[in-house]
Amino acid sequence: MNLTEFDELLACSEGNSSPLFLKLQAKHFMTVEDDDLAIELLATKLRTRKAYLTSFTTLHMMVITARCNCVCDYCHASSIDPEKQDVDMTWDVAKKTIDMIFQAPAPSIKIEFQGGEPLLNWEIVKESILYARFVNRFAKRKLGFVICTNIIALTPEIVNFCKKNEIDLSTSLDGPRDLHDGHRKSRDGRSSYDCFKKNLGAARLGLGYEGCSALLTITRDHLQRLPEVIDHYVEMGFTGVFLRALNPYGYAVANYSNIGYTPEEFVVAFSKALDYIVELNLAGTPFVEYYTALLLQRVLTPFSTGFVDLQSPSGAGISGVIYDYNGEIYPADEARMLARMGDKKFLMGNVMTDSYEQVFDGPVIRDLAYNSCVETMPGCATCAYQLYCGADPIRYYVEKGDVVGSRPDSGFCKKNKRILDYIFTILDQGDERIINLFWAWATRRSLSEVTLESC
Amino acid sequence: MKHEEKVPFIIACDAGLYLVKLPKAFYEREAVFAAAYLFREKYHVRIDSIDDNYVGVWFQSKDETAPMPAQFALGEYCNEVLDQQVRLDLNKRYGALREAVYEHAFAPLRERKVWG
Repeated sequence: MNLTEFDELLACSEGNSSPLFLKLQAKHFMTVEDDDLAIELLATKLRTRKAYLTSFTTLHMMVITARCNCVCDYCHASSIDPEKQDVDMTWDVAKKTIDMIFQAPAPSIKIEFQGGEPLLNWEIVKESILYARFVNRFAKRKLGFVICTNIIALTPEIVNFCKKNEIDLSTSLDGPRDLHDGHRKSRDGRSSYDCFKKNLGAARLGLGYEGCSALLTITRDHLQRLPEVIDHYVEMGFTGVFLRALNPYGYAVANYSNIGYTPEEFVVAFSKALDYIVELNLAGTPFVEYYTALLLQRVLTPFSTGFVDLQSPSGAGISGVIYDYNGEIYPADEARMLARMGDKKFLMGNVMTDSYEQVFDGPVIRDLAYNSCVETMPGCATCAYQLYCGADPIRYYVEKGDVVGSRPDSGFCKKNKRILDYIFTILDQGDERIINLFWAWATRRSLSEVTLESC
Repeated sequence: MKHEEKVPFIIACDAGLYLVKLPKAFYEREAVFAAAYLFREKYHVRIDSIDDNYVGVWFQSKDETAPMPAQFALGEYCNEVLDQQVRLDLNKRYGALREAVYEHAFAPLRERKVWG
């Protein structure tokens, strides 16, 4: 719509029957006064978009140990030397944690084992999975498991167990050997990349390609080399990548001067990488940028897309929760990392001493949810992207000292707003091939399926 | 140049004492107090009505040896009180929506069935 059309629309909004008004009315951008039907339809749309709230906490992360065999320079969790012994989750804590997880009302439960490096405390991972399966005979939930691991300590026994118990692995790949080894340093001095590559093959033999996904963490070294990183992901047989920025926690804070960048620098690199991925797809290599796909699902479809890090209210606690090795419960991994840095503001309770109600109906989780509705947050309430975005109250607390935060100063806001700006710029350019690709990503179909449909 | 010439809404009073004048028509008591509360670690703060139209917020640094960076610190106060007022305004306008979403988010807890 141009400015003249907008002025004309404002001048005679009531009783307007211009094609533009009717088009906007059909898409629920405009309505005449007292149109109850329009309000009811909008309410239904909003309920649909917020459907992720109907389950309560579905993602339960267990920190099996704080020890790690790598010392990554951006480690948000500030990993601890493998020789240290008192930072492992004990069986007592693990059992109590699983008992608490199954108190959740969610019909679907995903248990994610994290660290440190969870494979360093493999017996507890294994016992936890077996016990959770046993409990689920009675609880009857849709139960899934993920182990977040650098796969350095992966063994045939672990792969077989994962295969038998339908456990997915989520690992990390930071690109070609020099980039990966440069940031994901093995404590024993060996190349973590070589171990990764060898064990990825073994994992895929047992679990298939889909059973082992990888995460990329972008440092300053990556900014100019993302196309190369993407090529490497393709060469390694991955079908997509999540272009993930650094978060201001743990070692990433201490090493900011070496590995950090501004949100603006990140989005410039992100945009170029997205262009590169689009070109790859158009040239016949199917490959997804998962963050863009998530945002497109929100922009192009009316469906609910739960994503703990970008929800309103925030998914911290109500969608995902993390149980530290010592039984302490935090609403998000970032809150646990903050605690590791000495600030336990977001401690919800402890599995050994607190009841489910005390933890999940307590003041920390309620305060976070109440103060992270973008509908009432300054800068968010009037933002055009409100419907596609979400709040990160723990990040805001780190940035400004309170959970509501300040959008003009927020790196989180700058990053998301600029990424959405770029996606809308591409959509506005109207290249049919790219629109089809974006539809394919948003609806999780192949480009050929979408292209055939649009013919 | 005096502070009030550079930043007219921040007025230098006696030595080390500064005043921020806020129009009552725009700022509510709750916003003025909530913003002032955040500054109490470094300043002694007093809030009083100036007249029917203005409320005054006086700041005096607790550290008598440090020169008071009035323009920056009290400019931050002005930004903070604006933020607090916008929060209040948004809550008045969209608070019912927030309440509905918040209640919806915790509804599964009320309907929770404990197994076993």
